Amino acid sequence: MVSYLVRRLLVGLLTLWLITCLIYGLIRLMPGSPLDTDPAMMDPSKMPSKADIQRMQEVYGLDKPLHEAYWHWLKNAVRLDLGTSYSQKKPVAELIGDRIGPTLQLSVTSLLLSYLLAVPMGLYATVRSGQPDERGLSFLLYTLYSFPSFVAALFLQLLFAVKLEGTWFGLPLLGNHSNGYEELTELDRIWDSFKHMILPVACFTYGSLAYYCRFVKANMEEVIRQDYIRTAHAKGLGPIRVLIHHAFRNTLIPFVTLLGLTLPSLLGGAIILEGIFNWPGMGRLFFMSILQRDYPTIMSLTLMFSILTLLGQLLADIFYAFVDPRIRYT
Amino acid sequence: MWHRLNQIRATARKRFRRSVLTRTQDGENPQQKNPAMNRNDSDRVIVSAGFWEQSWQRFRRRRLSMLALYFIGFLSVIAIFSPMIAGTKPIVCRYKDQLYFPCMGYYNRNWENPVFQKDRFRRVYPGNLERKDPDSWAIWPLVYQDPHRPVRKGEWEAMKGNPWGPEGRPTSQNWFGTYKTGFDVFASMVHGTRIALLVGFVSTGIAAAIGITLGAVAGYIGGIVDIAISRLIEVVMCIPALVLILCLQAVIDKVSIWNIMMLLGLTGWTGMARLTRGEFLKLKETEFVAAARCLGVGRARIMFRHVLPNALAPVMVPIAFGIAGGIQTEAALSLLGFGAPPPNPSWGTILHSGRETLQSGYWWQLVFPGMGIFLTVLAYNLIGEGIQEATDPRLADPRN
Repeated sequence: MVSYLVRRLLVGLLTLWLITCLIYGLIRLMPGSPLDTDPAMMDPSKMPSKADIQRMQEVYGLDKPLHEAYWHWLKNAVRLDLGTSYSQKKPVAELIGDRIGPTLQLSVTSLLLSYLLAVPMGLYATVRSGQPDERGLSFLLYTLYSFPSFVAALFLQLLFAVKLEGTWFGLPLLGNHSNGYEELTELDRIWDSFKHMILPVACFTYGSLAYYCRFVKANMEEVIRQDYIRTAHAKGLGPIRVLIHHAFRNTLIPFVTLLGLTLPSLLGGAIILEGIFNWPGMGRLFFMSILQRDYPTIMSLTLMFSILTLLGQLLADIFYAFVDPRIRYT
Repeated sequence: MWHRLNQIRATARKRFRRSVLTRTQDGENPQQKNPAMNRNDSDRVIVSAGFWEQSWQRFRRRRLSMLALYFIGFLSVIAIFSPMIAGTKPIVCRYKDQLYFPCMGYYNRNWENPVFQKDRFRRVYPGNLERKDPDSWAIWPLVYQDPHRPVRKGEWEAMKGNPWGPEGRPTSQNWFGTYKTGFDVFASMVHGTRIALLVGFVSTGIAAAIGITLGAVAGYIGGIVDIAISRLIEVVMCIPALVLILCLQAVIDKVSIWNIMMLLGLTGWTGMARLTRGEFLKLKETEFVAAARCLGVGRARIMFRHVLPNALAPVMVPIAFGIAGGIQTEAALSLLGFGAPPPNPSWGTILHSGRETLQSGYWWQLVFPGMGIFLTVLAYNLIGEGIQEATDPRLADPRN
């Protein structure tokens, strides 16, 4: 197990290094630099002199050749120094710290919600397999699964934030809190945040809900045909006990893998949905950092995404061995 | 020699797919599929329905998947004939004793005859044709609306100019309403079908070509090549697709719709590569590969003529899902304002404009393109699922 872990970690490090090389090369190839996307630079009256530009390039390390600049970045990154954002003039770590809260607020809520709903729905669909109500449910879920989340987001915004605005069902259009949030009382703040969360959480949830539900059902269908289920029934156990204790417990293995694979999306945010809802999360940060050519932020976020993806895969494999004693890594 | 090999292949495949010989045929059409067997015993041959034929029969039994297939067929017809359905350029016209097809200009600007530019039509045909040549005639598209510009007043008989803003709601003139400053949503959507389908096919085609080739090479050759390709797959997989696309897109200065298709293809091949690699790892140990190798068949020929046809079925599924994903990603990019430049009216572009005026509540700018994207994605997903079930050997009907 230990040697397996060490091997996996080393391979993971190699992959990470390759990813950073690729992304660093790409962002330095992008036309435009952080200097000419800065709004302060656009002002013709305050056009910086050549010497100023030279100086700023030196500060940002843009004057160095590619490999030197990369080496410089890598040395700092290994020491966990992610650099300072060009556009916001703050350390990147601090920026990420600011943004991770709102992202988690959405992703954790939606994850919990979809798991809580998907398992009972999947079990129900297994029991009622082939019946008209199960067919209807499955078809509905499949339709939802195919419904692009950004389209759903726009439809929901149109319905709840525009058409129903001012009525009892009206919900806020953008952002994670209203203006004047600071002046509200504690209770009102929670209510305000809650109202802002409903639409984004709904968009994050319905797709994965449909996916998990189908996933539960597909795995259950396989298990329910096993001999030991028939044995359990023959022993006279109640149908619910058989379903949950004997069948569902045995579908947990693929479920756990799935959990590991959702790790990156949990922290990574969603570029499109956060963009549509103007939600100040990680996805939005990433989107803006590309627009502003904010190299340190782009690099840090990509690094984070990749670490999470690799970590998620590794965790899934470890969990796998943990849940299923038949699996051993050597 | 060759047909012996073919026989080994055929039996191996049969065993592999667990199909049972049942259908009896008297040497008519199925023999074309398997000439080796035909030559051996020509009078009465037992031939099972081929794997693809069986799969197709199973696919056909799934009503929803077939419906989805018909829907994609319908969309393809719309896409191919889009300039004849909605446009302001005649399909055929006779002008100064010459036949022209100005509607071809919608496919490619250069296909519109320059004579109309020289005669100063300024893209408005109806009045100009009559004025400049009284003997001219023309066959017009079904709906006189243009995806690239609003129709102005008096351009076409008694037609009013396209309204915009709150007046742009669906009417008998603008079936799906208007967006921006009077662009017709229906015409844009009809022409956008071309982009939507093209994006799906081209991007997935590129992805499949890369993925299958790399996966095949990695799986069959193995060793250091396999390690290198597997690392590459992992690297591309670890970077979220949208991140990679946005980075790559920033590198390209002027982005065309073809660039976007290429980017989608370049980022979407990893799943297929992994699957193909796995299939090749499994299949390279089979008898028919060993037989082919003994006969001295070249490596490339074994890979692509012998192994690949057997590995193709599982790869078909991610291809269908990939098309759906490609269409979604393109629409999402357009929605974020990173899509193809304006002369291409994609469904995402209409959504983008609808989002800008969201607070005014112009529902028609969101509902029609949104439903278009949804239905297309749904159709491809249903097809993908149909293929999955139809080609799954575990679900094969033993009686077949």
